[in-house]
Formats: sequence, C-alpha cells, structure tokens
Amino acid sequence: VSDASPELVDILLFEVGDRVYGADATQVLRISRRSQGSADLRMLGPLKEGTRALVVKGPDGEAELPVDSVRGIRRTPVGELRRRPATAHGDPSAVGFWLDGDTPVVLIDLVRALGAQGGQ
Amino acid sequence: LDPTPLSRALEVAPERAVAEKATPEQEFFCFRTGELQLGVPSENVREVVRAGPLTPLPRVPPFILGVAGHRGEVLPVLDLLRFLGKGEARVTSKTRLFIGTSGGYVTAVIADQILGLLRIPVSEIVPPPMGGDAASEHLLGVFRPGQKEAALSLVNFSKLLHAARQRAVSR
Repeated sequence: VSDASPELVDILLFEVGDRVYGADATQVLRISRRSQGSADLRMLGPLKEGTRALVVKGPDGEAELPVDSVRGIRRTPVGELRRRPATAHGDPSAVGFWLDGDTPVVLIDLVRALGAQGGQ
Repeated sequence: LDPTPLSRALEVAPERAVAEKATPEQEFFCFRTGELQLGVPSENVREVVRAGPLTPLPRVPPFILGVAGHRGEVLPVLDLLRFLGKGEARVTSKTRLFIGTSGGYVTAVIADQILGLLRIPVSEIVPPPMGGDAASEHLLGVFRPGQKEAALSLVNFSKLLHAARQRAVSR
C-alpha cells in the first residue's frame, strides 16, 4: 500500500512481451508465481513466458494478471502523468500515461483489465 | 514646345505602384506518405519532428500506430494510409511526424517525405473526383502543379481529425 503524498503516485512497472506497462501500485496485493489456468491479458500483447502474476483484488475476490516480469515501483510526480488523448481511444483499462523522459508508458487500471479479461 | 515622349509618359504615369489583381491563395503543408502526395492547410500544422519510438496502445483502431511523447505531450500517431484505406505506413529512420492541430485536438501524422509549403491559388483547386473512393470525402480538392507532376490531394484536416476521433470512440 502506497503512502505517497497526492503529488506523488507509486506506479508498479511490469512487462508483457517486449512492452512496459504501469499500474497504480495500490491495486496490487502481491506479486506471485502464476498459477496454472489463469487467463492471459491478451489486450496487452502476447506473453513471452508469463511465469509471474500480479494479484489484484477484483469485484469477485482476488484474481491474477499474468505478466513476464515486474520492474519494480516508481514513485512518480503527478506532473509526469498524462491523460489519454481524445483521439487515442482504445481499451478503457488503458487510462493514461507516465512520461518516462519522452517515452510514454501506458498506465493500466488493473481492476478494469480484470473485467476485460473476464469478458474475453 | 512640343511635349517630349518622356513628358507624355509622365502625364499618364500612375501616382503609385499598382498592385496586380489579387488572387486568393491558400498555403498547404505538402508531404508524401506511401504513394500519396498530400497537402494539409498550413494553419493545421504546428511542426515537423523525427519519428522516435512509438508506444503501442491496446485495442486502438489500426490507423492509430500508438503514441509518441513530444515536449511533455503524449500524441496519438496517425497513419493516413490506413485511415484512408490506401495501404500501411512503414516507420523507418527516415520517417517524419508532423504535429497537426484542429479544434484543440493535437495528433502526430506519419510522413515518408516532407515536400514543403506551397501556396496554391484557390481557383486552381479542383473538387475531388465524383464517385471517388471513401478517401475523397476527406479532401478539400485536388491540385495538379504541372502536366507531368503528380496531383496533390488537399486534405480537409479538421474533418479528418474529427472523423478519426469518431471512429476511435465508436469502437
């Protein structure tokens, strides 16, 4: 659980395939080994091995979101966050961006992503 | 004294320089993408930058190649070839992005080659061909610089950006 001030947000950075994503660290209960039978988050792209999982508390209890690796938590100033541009509507779980220098990192709402995963 | 040719000429000389009859012109930013030569009203173009790494986005329309960061902004990157159904852009080290704006919306657009700014007499812009493909609905018209030169399709960028946004939202 983050104790960050409102000006700082803890972002958990993880990888799916060759892509890096971020998520609100407070949505992640723990990081574990992926259990058998958990579904892929296909919208984030194909997994390489997907041996790790982010455990998230969803509406139906705990659920796993498989990932390839977890880079760690980055305490990020709000000034480095950006909303999604109006012309870049896509998956509703992609809620915005963290600007890593000039490189946008897509921020995923993991609870919404769980809903999307259930709908696949 | 008989008037000299010079004095006669001075009698009919104008008081000040006379401008030629003004011809309304419009300035277009011209570029090539794939086989298309396109022009966008220059007031819709903010700047041109080299294409850096693009961040793909989940479940966006195929004509949005991803987003790019530029001076603290996150900009969607639009592939006009895909949007107009004319193929697919290939992003290489030579690819450029022009930053286009309309009505408060900003987007980056893929360009293979920048042709420059061109002032075109409005009278020489002909309407897009009747019965043309779906792409022609996004055109202001067509300009043919010379008999041997390829026609320049002039894009209604404001309408195109609005349509792109509508398509993205309605998915």
